[in-house]
Amino acid sequence: MADVRALLEEFDRISKSPKQLLKEYNEAGEKVVGCFYYTPQPLITALGMVPMGLWGGQVNPQVAGKYSPIFTCSILRSCLEYGMTGEYEGLSAAIMPILCDTFRGTCSAWRAGVNIKLIPFVHPQNRKDPGALDYLIEEYKYVKSELEDVAGKTCTDAELKASIRLHNQKNKVIREFCSVANDHLDIITAVERHHVMKAITFMKPEIIIEKLTALIEALKAEPVCNWTGKKVILTGITAEPDDLLAGFTANNIAVVGDDLMQESRLYRTDYPSANSAMESLALQWLQIKGCSMAHDDNNRARGENLVEMARAKGADAVVCCMMRFCDTEEYDEPYILETVRNAGFMAFSIDIDQSTSDSGQAITKIQAFAENNV
Amino acid sequence: MSEEAVVKKPKRPLPKSRVMLNALVDSIYEDAYEAERKGEPVGWSTSIFPQEICATFGVPVLFPENNAAGIAARHDSTRFIQTSEGKLGYSNDICSYARLSIGMAHQIANDPDYEPPALRMPRPTFLLCATNSCFELLKWYECLSRELDIPIFMQDCLFNCFEEEPAVHRNKFGKSQILHNIQRMEEFFGKKFDWEKFEEIQKISGENSRLFDECVAMNDKNPSPLNGFDLFNYMAPMVIARGRRETTEVLLQLKREIQEHIDNGTTTFGSTKEEYRVDWEGIACWPNLGYNLKTMKKYGINCVTNGYVGAWSLHYTPGNLEEMASQYMLSSTNVLSTRSMMGKRSDVANRFGCDGMLCHVNRSCKYMTYHMFVGREIVEEKCKIPVVTFDGDQADPTIFNEAQFETRVQGLVEIMKQNKEGK
Repeated sequence: MADVRALLEEFDRISKSPKQLLKEYNEAGEKVVGCFYYTPQPLITALGMVPMGLWGGQVNPQVAGKYSPIFTCSILRSCLEYGMTGEYEGLSAAIMPILCDTFRGTCSAWRAGVNIKLIPFVHPQNRKDPGALDYLIEEYKYVKSELEDVAGKTCTDAELKASIRLHNQKNKVIREFCSVANDHLDIITAVERHHVMKAITFMKPEIIIEKLTALIEALKAEPVCNWTGKKVILTGITAEPDDLLAGFTANNIAVVGDDLMQESRLYRTDYPSANSAMESLALQWLQIKGCSMAHDDNNRARGENLVEMARAKGADAVVCCMMRFCDTEEYDEPYILETVRNAGFMAFSIDIDQSTSDSGQAITKIQAFAENNV
Repeated sequence: MSEEAVVKKPKRPLPKSRVMLNALVDSIYEDAYEAERKGEPVGWSTSIFPQEICATFGVPVLFPENNAAGIAARHDSTRFIQTSEGKLGYSNDICSYARLSIGMAHQIANDPDYEPPALRMPRPTFLLCATNSCFELLKWYECLSRELDIPIFMQDCLFNCFEEEPAVHRNKFGKSQILHNIQRMEEFFGKKFDWEKFEEIQKISGENSRLFDECVAMNDKNPSPLNGFDLFNYMAPMVIARGRRETTEVLLQLKREIQEHIDNGTTTFGSTKEEYRVDWEGIACWPNLGYNLKTMKKYGINCVTNGYVGAWSLHYTPGNLEEMASQYMLSSTNVLSTRSMMGKRSDVANRFGCDGMLCHVNRSCKYMTYHMFVGREIVEEKCKIPVVTFDGDQADPTIFNEAQFETRVQGLVEIMKQNKEGK
């Protein structure tokens, strides 16, 4: 148990202090590239740099409002705030996929207000079109070339393939952690689970594999917990802050799976085998399923995925964690709640807002769910 | 609004171009109703989809954005928006055009007592979605697709992060989509695509785009021959009938009328003296258009130009699908970086001799608002004119505030006046 605690404390520390980790990378002479949402991270690793997730933070923006309207999503506003106030100092570049209108705007705002090189690119949304693969390969070639400028070197196809294997191995270990965690819901509470999943967005893939493998082994040594409380799946962009997640634990509710952008969405689709490393990177985007930001010809894919996940994990409910002012998620919200309810599960939404630390309303909804014995 | 009795002025007769325009719009809707009656395909489309394709197939297509603007201007949007927010559970944060049309689609599909608006939209059998005007159009059309259980034909018009023309690989992807959509439509409509007719429609679209640009450009005269809001009306045929000869006739008539105004020194701005020439940025505040116009006239402001109306001017070589795809990736202000978009707007504001820029911070249109927030420094630097914003919405009447609008207009006038006196 001591091993588990020590490892969880390490993930906890990293999840709360990415700036410290960035400083340590820089002090070790490593270049770090900030990554928003879906980015071809194996390119960064192959070039000897460190990919770090950019997820903003709980902050009431003071300067971002110069460029960013108040009714735009709170996570990109807080990222802009951090960029403009020096919080992201130490990044050599940031890769930004233009996945929604707020990304379109933040791309312009970043260039106007943040002194960190921006590498924007656009995923194809018409993913079934025969031209989508070639397009994305070319787009990633541009990203690669920009990253090579930052790294001051190039990488071979073999090096990129090795990096892709490493990231696929990382994905596999993360998925295994999520699975093993469900046997130990007394230890891996909603908060602890989140700390692990958030910390790994800041860590090097090889370190993630090492630390998570150790955590998995340590957990397996513990007795399996027969969780008698309620179980939920979280869906959305992020589920933060800790106070909100603690509301689940306080009400005897465990998180048994997630469809969060900050957490499992990033790891559930591997880079497939392909004719070239670049093709593998591009094919991965074309194979993503059930995400609000990747159009699917099956217009019910996300709802169906959530139902399938709830069944597989024995969940009682799906909780829609609505990032404030994220219209991309807001368009999905009514139909996923309906689909999940029609399949016999409970479903409800809670607000996620990085500009306030008050989670009272969300916790009240969680309490109401806990008290509902339906 | 005052409760005192208001003596209404008799309405001025519409100019011939407007009469022709209205007849054209009516005939397009009638074509769609006829197809609906016969059980033939009818489409709903985003406003800047390559309409040349369906025009070639001879399949009628209508435009929810255009229709929503008309409904909002007639103060009839609330009942549809309420269906979306109330019964269906959509957030009031999403675009009001989307809320309006999703609510309408739901009523069409489910409400036996459905009361259509003045300009009724027939029930569609397919959707056309281009992502140039914004990304969220795709999410909106996904909702329509679920609500009506119909397919989407998509033209993914990639956001141009840079100031240069789209890279070759982007245009190739655009061409691939045009070809693939044609192939899918051949199967869906059960019709063969006529490539010769396609090229003819492309030619007409090009001619209409040139004519429209000429009409807009003629407005740089001082005084401006048109009240700037007139352009919001005349963009309608460009949106819904860009590839038709009737649109050419409307635009030729409009051009003649503008020339007459220029020759006679008259203007549709009316008898009010044009004290200030202003660039209006953003979509019209449709539910409050009358108030906007009245208030600006009160202060002698004519909105002589705006960036929005030019989005349907597409110039490419007929038959060249990569060029065509590229144009659809450049047409809307919302598919361009702020530096590109506001740089162009600054050039136009300078050419039209604008004294100021009035920006509609449209609650429904997030990216356009970013342009205003990020781009105002560009405009102030390049044009040396004041930039003022006001809050509003394109179809939701609950956002706009008359007092705030007038106060902002007063502030703008004060700076423009000082600037003029200082010259």
